Amino acid sequence: MENLSWLFYAYGIGIGVLFAYVFQISRREQTLRRRMADLQATVEEHWKK
Amino acid sequence: MSTQRATGSPAVPLWLGGTAALAMIVHLYLVFVWVPTESSMGIIQRIFYFHVPAAMTAFVACFVGGVASILYLATRNHKWDDLSVASNETVVVFEAINIAMGSIWGRRVWGIWWTWDAKLTSAFVLFFLYVAYLLIRRATPVEVRATVCAVICILGMLDVPLIYLSNRIFRTQHPAPVIGGGPGSGLAPEMLFTLLFGMCAMLLVWGSMVRLRRRVAQLERAAEDLVRRTNEMIDQGI
Repeated sequence: MENLSWLFYAYGIGIGVLFAYVFQISRREQTLRRRMADLQATVEEHWKK
Repeated sequence: MSTQRATGSPAVPLWLGGTAALAMIVHLYLVFVWVPTESSMGIIQRIFYFHVPAAMTAFVACFVGGVASILYLATRNHKWDDLSVASNETVVVFEAINIAMGSIWGRRVWGIWWTWDAKLTSAFVLFFLYVAYLLIRRATPVEVRATVCAVICILGMLDVPLIYLSNRIFRTQHPAPVIGGGPGSGLAPEMLFTLLFGMCAMLLVWGSMVRLRRRVAQLERAAEDLVRRTNEMIDQGI
């Protein structure tokens, strides 16, 4: 029974690391998209002036 | 590379992401419910079905990243550099999983978390080589970045056969190979199926991650390009 807990810990770490990485990459992608949209808006505003 | 291309279609197609998620769920069912329990180690042996596919995926990622780095050096086409960084970053992820799960298994079966035998040490070296790769990539100027990183990738690729063969060449505490390990080695058909299924599931997850990370690399470069052009316009007073 104790080994079952260790097995769950191990799989929890494995799946957790995968999820954490995908989550972190997705957030980076969203941040970059937002940053690019802001930059494009700044350039367009500059052109209007 | 155009901004349009970098921000257009989804990085991970639904079929790939969906298949990867489904395969991983089926794999967990096989591991926890379907596969028989190994007689000598008991239930803790089931760590093997995630530990080994994670290692194999890291090896595949090493080779893909290394070949992409060499192709970038040969062609100077940024698409290879994007693939290289995406693949090499996943080496750290899968090696971390491999080492952490192996360590938990070692604690239950050997009674220790870690030992400096050839297999474990070479895996540890691989992990830190790619951590170094990521740190150096951030620290070096763009002009020399690809060359420095390609050298690290080649070292990483050389380490992979050493890890794979270490428990065949040296006497290690790590268990002897169960596939292609000579007479007396081998797995029961259900165990072999679960292992191979796990490798396929892990490769699908890896493929999705690489596509997502490659998109981020494309966006990073597009953003840098946009900042540079904006600054140029401001400097020229346009």
